[in-house]
Amino acid sequence: MRPDLERQAAPASGENSVADVLIVGSGASGSVAAARLAGAGFRVICLEQGDWVHTADYMSATPEAELAWVQRWNPDPVARRNPADYPLTGEADVRPVMYNGVGGGLVQWAAMWQPLLASDFKVRSLDGVADDWPITWAELADQYGRVARDLSVSGLADDPALPEMAAYPNPPVPIGKVGMAAARGMDRLGWHWWPGANAIASRRHGALQACQRRGTCMTGCPENAKATPSLTHWPRALAAGARLVTGARVAEIPLDDRGRAIGAAYLDSDGVEHLQRARVVVLAANAVGTARLLLLSASARFPDGLANSSGLVGRRLMQHPYRTVTAVCEESLESWQGPWGQNIYSLQFAETHPDRDFVRGAKWMVMPHGGPMFAVGEYHDAHRLAGFEALWGENFHRAAAEVFGHAFAWGIQAEDLPEEHNRVILDDEVCDSSGLPAARIEYRLSENARRMLDFNVARAVEAAEAAGATSVMVRGLWPTGIGHVLGTTRMGDDPATSVVDRWCRSHDVPNLYVIDGGVFVTGGSANPTATIMANALRVTEHMIDERSSQEVPL
Amino acid sequence: MSAPSPTAAQRSVLAGLADVLIAEGCGMPAASRVGVAGELLDRCLEAAPVLAAPLLALLDEAPSDAADAYVRCLAADRPDDFAVLSTVVVGAYYLSPQVRDLIGYPGQEPSPLTVAAEPDYLDMLERVYERHPGYREAP
Ligand SMILES: Cc1cc2nc3c(=O)[nH]c(=O)nc-3n(C[C@H](O)[C@H](O)[C@H](O)COP(=O)(O)OP(=O)(O)OC[C@H]3O[C@@H](n4cnc5c(N)ncnc54)[C@H](O)[C@@H]3O)c2cc1C
Ligand code: SF4
Repeated sequence: MRPDLERQAAPASGENSVADVLIVGSGASGSVAAARLAGAGFRVICLEQGDWVHTADYMSATPEAELAWVQRWNPDPVARRNPADYPLTGEADVRPVMYNGVGGGLVQWAAMWQPLLASDFKVRSLDGVADDWPITWAELADQYGRVARDLSVSGLADDPALPEMAAYPNPPVPIGKVGMAAARGMDRLGWHWWPGANAIASRRHGALQACQRRGTCMTGCPENAKATPSLTHWPRALAAGARLVTGARVAEIPLDDRGRAIGAAYLDSDGVEHLQRARVVVLAANAVGTARLLLLSASARFPDGLANSSGLVGRRLMQHPYRTVTAVCEESLESWQGPWGQNIYSLQFAETHPDRDFVRGAKWMVMPHGGPMFAVGEYHDAHRLAGFEALWGENFHRAAAEVFGHAFAWGIQAEDLPEEHNRVILDDEVCDSSGLPAARIEYRLSENARRMLDFNVARAVEAAEAAGATSVMVRGLWPTGIGHVLGTTRMGDDPATSVVDRWCRSHDVPNLYVIDGGVFVTGGSANPTATIMANALRVTEHMIDERSSQEVPL
Repeated sequence: MSAPSPTAAQRSVLAGLADVLIAEGCGMPAASRVGVAGELLDRCLEAAPVLAAPLLALLDEAPSDAADAYVRCLAADRPDDFAVLSTVVVGAYYLSPQVRDLIGYPGQEPSPLTVAAEPDYLDMLERVYERHPGYREAP
């Protein structure tokens, strides 16, 4: 269904008739842009399909914290079934997870803070695969540091595997017994490891309280110790005059006669249609939501989707395919304790190596292992071939005693190179609660990524054994991903082979920007949000600097 | 629409099925003994309402005199239904304060984080620094 632009509801009282900048999506990238633009005096309006999430909404501080994963705070929208979620359909090897509400994915993220490698920006030049980014690591260096400050990141700079960067504002969270066990293993093997950087405050800092180690970070932090935009960015943006409209599902970016975006058509939660006019439109709806919206905005001028003269909108979807290797140790590691970010990480196998049968590499990170329900669940999954008798009845307690509190996981996050057949398209049949077509995901794991995962999993088993594991549990490819969605509106200098330019402005529509993870040219193997937010800041400040030359609708 | 609260008959069926999954042993109580079919069940379904309707359907279908065979049949042939049953039973079991006590699990409780001035991994980190060749430069 497409809103009838001729028949728009009157603006709600106080609604700006024409915003300077309209942002779609209030998550990682949208919140950075809103705070910076509003602070610079722009009239900003942000449209967000979901609602505010308040600390009191989380189940994390209740005894039912582990059950939160089953439905209400399941990161998979298909399992969660909130009205603000749009369906994700298709038979994909990996299907994205996300949160749709104020803060976007940062409501549920694990807050692992990981800049890309310098080489990640130039894989074509260095390794002869995929494409180079139009920018370098150095062009994000300053923004990496500033965004880390805004998010009260706790970590230790000076990792020799990365270019020099600003010190983090807080010391790393303690790596705990879990991190120590894993680090000893890496030490024995002579492999790279480093204390994890996390957007979790190791002491009271900025908008955040000190972490209380609840370990419920991914179902929402009840202590306000994990960075999320409703704490770190929205208060600032709103105080500077930005407006954030929740329950506003954008259905189309309409154009004027000269092909400029005039704002956004959206449906509120009662299904009433609105047109919010704006001089500049910024899409920050994540690599699935933005691609979907551009495809929904097809018109006579852009029959294949808005800003899609390259044909690449929705294509080149990357997701960091993921597997885990869990080390079960004799001694108690108190591994239900948080934070559930990364205790330590390793970049030992993150770069291309001539002796391997794949290019590029994977990042590893050590995480705790959750409460008994999670621990036993994973044990059962790993030993499902052992049969009913071995896992249930009286033996249920043996498994629980062996694994609960005694395990840590190496997460293996692989770089999946961009491939045009991995894509987001519109579903022909299934619609969201507003009647808009669902996003259909087509994603196949490449041979390169499969080999990369197999190799890294085998090394991680060695690392687990070197850490003293008495047994090791290996999991296959995670079919629901880890919330990293990238690449569907790539940036580049050539309009024939990219959707947006180096400043993330559409090659086709001069007042339309995309600033979310869709603009990644390649994905590296780092958790993407540090780069998404640093890039959003870079682009927003360029927009501010170049305001006088910005083309706008009449 | 939320599913109705389980009846006494359904709870009694659940107690039987639950003990097939979690029997007494290793110093731990059986599931029914800690109230998995009682108040803990209500809390579990309140936390994850999506489980209620499929669970109640299973409880209506399960024979009252062949719990063991029924649970094994679900495990072997009906993985989705088995997942519903086992999630409820395991989830409710670990809500029990008695069980938590026995396994030494305080819950996801707060415990202040102490940042040491000199973390005890510094010597290992020093070695990472010494042996690392430096990052790969890009053009
Ligand atoms: C469980 C989980 C764990 C994660 N852990 C980490 C981690 O440890 N480290 C890391 O770096 N990253 C992590 N991520 C990934 C991180 O959340 C994303 O990289 C980040 O949120 C992406 O930012 P974004 O700005 O691209 O979009 P998002 O933050 O996803 O925001 C997009 C927003 O747009 C809104 N929207 C979409 N379509 C519309 C529409 N049509 N109309 C109105 N609004 C719309 C959505 O509701 C959403 O709020 C995790 C993600 C998940 C789900
Ligand atoms: S471990 Fe820290 S950040 Fe995570 S939920 Fe607990 S208090 Fe919040």
